[in-house]
Amino acid sequence: MNDHPVAGKRMPRVDSVPKATGEALYTADLVLPRMLCGKILRSPHPHAKILNIDTSKAEKLPGVKAVVTGPDTGGVRWGVFRYTRDQQLLPVDKVRYFGEEVAAVAAVDEDTAMEALELIEVDYQVLPAVFDPVEAMQPGAPQIHDHVENNVNILVPIEVGDVEKGFAEAYYVREDRFTAVEHAYTQLEPYAVLASYDPSGNLQVWLPNASPHTKAKALANLFEMPLHKMKVRKCYSGGAFGGRSDIFPGEFIAALLSRKAGRPVKIVYTREESFTNVRQVHSHIVDIKTGVKKDGTFIATEIKSIMDGGAYSSTGPIAASVPFLVWEETYRLPNVRFQGYRIYTNKPIRGMYGSHGRGFLGGLGMQLDMIAEELGIDPVEIRLRNAMHTGDTQATGSKVISCGLSEAIQKAAVKSGWKEKRGKLPYGRGVGMGCNGMMVGFPMGIRGGSSAYIKFNEDAGATLISGVADNGQGNDSMMVQIAADVLGLRMDEINLVSGDSEVTTLDQGAYSQAAAFVSGNAVRAAAEDAKRQLLAVAAEMLGAEVEALDLKDHRVFVVEDPEKDVPVHRIVRTALLKNKPIMGRGSYMPHVDPKREWVSNPRGQHAGTFSFGAFVAEVEVDTETGQVKLVQVAGAHDCGFAINPMAVEGQLEGNVGRAGVGASLLEEHCWDNGQMLNATMLEHKVPLAVDMPPVVHPIIVESMDPEGPFGAKEAGLAGAMNLFQAVGNAIYDAIGVWIKDFPITPDKVLKALEGKEK
Amino acid sequence: MEKRVVSLTVNGEEYEVVVAPHQTLLEVLKDDLYLTGTKEGCGEGACGTCTVLLDGKPVRSCLTLAVEVQGKEITTIEGLAPMGELHPVQEAFVEYGAIQCGFCTPGMILTTKALLDENPNPTEQEARQAISGNVCRCTGYAKIVEAMLKAAEVVQGGRHE
Repeated sequence: MNDHPVAGKRMPRVDSVPKATGEALYTADLVLPRMLCGKILRSPHPHAKILNIDTSKAEKLPGVKAVVTGPDTGGVRWGVFRYTRDQQLLPVDKVRYFGEEVAAVAAVDEDTAMEALELIEVDYQVLPAVFDPVEAMQPGAPQIHDHVENNVNILVPIEVGDVEKGFAEAYYVREDRFTAVEHAYTQLEPYAVLASYDPSGNLQVWLPNASPHTKAKALANLFEMPLHKMKVRKCYSGGAFGGRSDIFPGEFIAALLSRKAGRPVKIVYTREESFTNVRQVHSHIVDIKTGVKKDGTFIATEIKSIMDGGAYSSTGPIAASVPFLVWEETYRLPNVRFQGYRIYTNKPIRGMYGSHGRGFLGGLGMQLDMIAEELGIDPVEIRLRNAMHTGDTQATGSKVISCGLSEAIQKAAVKSGWKEKRGKLPYGRGVGMGCNGMMVGFPMGIRGGSSAYIKFNEDAGATLISGVADNGQGNDSMMVQIAADVLGLRMDEINLVSGDSEVTTLDQGAYSQAAAFVSGNAVRAAAEDAKRQLLAVAAEMLGAEVEALDLKDHRVFVVEDPEKDVPVHRIVRTALLKNKPIMGRGSYMPHVDPKREWVSNPRGQHAGTFSFGAFVAEVEVDTETGQVKLVQVAGAHDCGFAINPMAVEGQLEGNVGRAGVGASLLEEHCWDNGQMLNATMLEHKVPLAVDMPPVVHPIIVESMDPEGPFGAKEAGLAGAMNLFQAVGNAIYDAIGVWIKDFPITPDKVLKALEGKEK
Repeated sequence: MEKRVVSLTVNGEEYEVVVAPHQTLLEVLKDDLYLTGTKEGCGEGACGTCTVLLDGKPVRSCLTLAVEVQGKEITTIEGLAPMGELHPVQEAFVEYGAIQCGFCTPGMILTTKALLDENPNPTEQEARQAISGNVCRCTGYAKIVEAMLKAAEVVQGGRHE
């Protein structure tokens, strides 16, 4: 079925040996000569004016080489979008959350840096604070940003069709509220950054990141430096899950300290800082009103969502939109009204997470089951009736060029034993389904595309240069696998240079699920270009037409007469002598509507293509303790084409951990007046091997996308956006109660069971 | 606090290092010996990324003081394949896709080695229990457990090609 030599095969990843031997260097492992240790002083108040900062005692401490505060920054503000530039990465006049950066020091060692922090004296005028997004929206609530009334950071308004008419014509309408609290990304690698500013005005930065080019551009803007002097370097990254994009105070402060001290500065966050001072997953309150026809198909949808964004915008416009977009990418929605609020509070900053919107999407998927039950339709059947298909247009105008959702729904149902189990298992045990569509890429202007190049060496090996980033999901290896397939090479004959903003060309990075589809397409095009050049030189050498030739196993041969061939290393050498060195280049820009904008114009083609998934979770509920255990998951994901099936399975299984067990059942932050009470891995629990379902069936669906490289789309969000639905629905199947607040912890299960008995 | 000279045996080699009494084994391994394969994920004994073997048993090097471990055999991930020839556990982790971001990998591999040294034929549940002090945020553990059981087959039966 698949006649590619390398693509589509289960391949060990190119980065796994250095990771298995301990040779792989992560940011905290890096050491430069004369390197200093940086530490950050943080606000002890959730909302306060900074009246004065006295750093004189700290500066006099032997071993301290630089101290920086807000005035060292010139008051420069950061925002992902022009209209969200609301964060001074080292604030000048006001702090807006407990733990916000106030000052920083660089010293010869950690003990000295810690001692210096204690010598910095800050006078604050404490201001009233607000921690609840609904309270924050009321008139008279403390105003967190002067220019923003009622603390409304973002409002995404979407209106499609005639919603009132739709509800009026609906056979059945229901309204429900779903909620979720914040939780932690818990990348295993704590945030770290190493910055080195040299006297020639070059700034080199190492840090875990999802996009070296995005980081470089942002830092170049903030420091008013030309891009060619701003160099984000490659290092290994210990997990991202959406939390390594955006710009953080840590990298800005490390660079500031390095510039002031004239020496490299490394800042390694503690686990507590990694929880509180990078990003958390948003909490949210979602009101969903859905109207359906008698056959269960959607006729009207109205959603009002309120997300607690914390003190600053971060990726707010995206965060406010994505769960809704996922829903419109999954099902045909003729009439829609969506109001997506993101509200400022005096809490730490929230960002985009791989499983963003557990209550939102969990709620939508659970309400669909409630509707199905009311109408007497099987949950699988109601999903098939509403499912997106190839050729459909989504509510806000994106055309779907490939869609394997129905196939995914059917395969997950069969593999999970749905027919034998749904409604038929003993009390305490149940199954439930969840589905999702997923945008592959966003409109991101010049940063939404990717380019790559390949050079052949005279021994017939090649070096591939791509701007893609790898946070552990396997993008690096995927690029090598794509190039090896086209060029007839083994993967170990290609060296990849990636993740370096100076050497590589522009790429969106490991962001917006675009690495396979966009970066992969660029790499494939570069490899095809190099192959064309090889064939052209070989044609001259063989006295044959280019069209008559092919490349395989390190040789170019005449297809009709395979004995007539020339080895690649000879072609490369000949090309050099003929002044035609083999240098392939390729690029890819997805077909999106460039006018589409998250807030001001949320309509038009949103992504080049979309992936789809359907997962069935089987749970066991202990009705004495309220404990829910996931016992089996069958998850089908339409990734387009699995370039490396083993890697696709790994993504899918990982999401069973983060979304199925973690986000659905386990993970939550607790707060007291804006202070996170459980900023430790002992108190914010994430799934362990013993918490995982013993049986996970990963099912790969291949819809062979017409645009993707070899037909590939994306595999990173398989299950990440639908397992909350599956788990919530399975719990209802098991014990007959709906739990509308995530995570579904034992206390909520017991409370719901008590309510049922009354 | 006064520093003192301690002698540590790491991966079969003797090192003399000057340490303060409060310094952890993790700090000495990373900062003084540049054995950076050992990771710090939490610094509070919860994540298992700093796991090293002490006389063959897995310990948290972030909770172990350097002055406590004189005279013991310390094995870090760098000691498992000193000549570049991968240990069967490392080989299985690579071959069966058990490695994603890699931050948990050194700790997982050392914990697995300790398990197989003690129990060469673990059940799946025993494998899961053995790594229940090692957090992996990427893989969902499925391929890690698979690799552990495949490594056990190799360790028991020699290499079957």
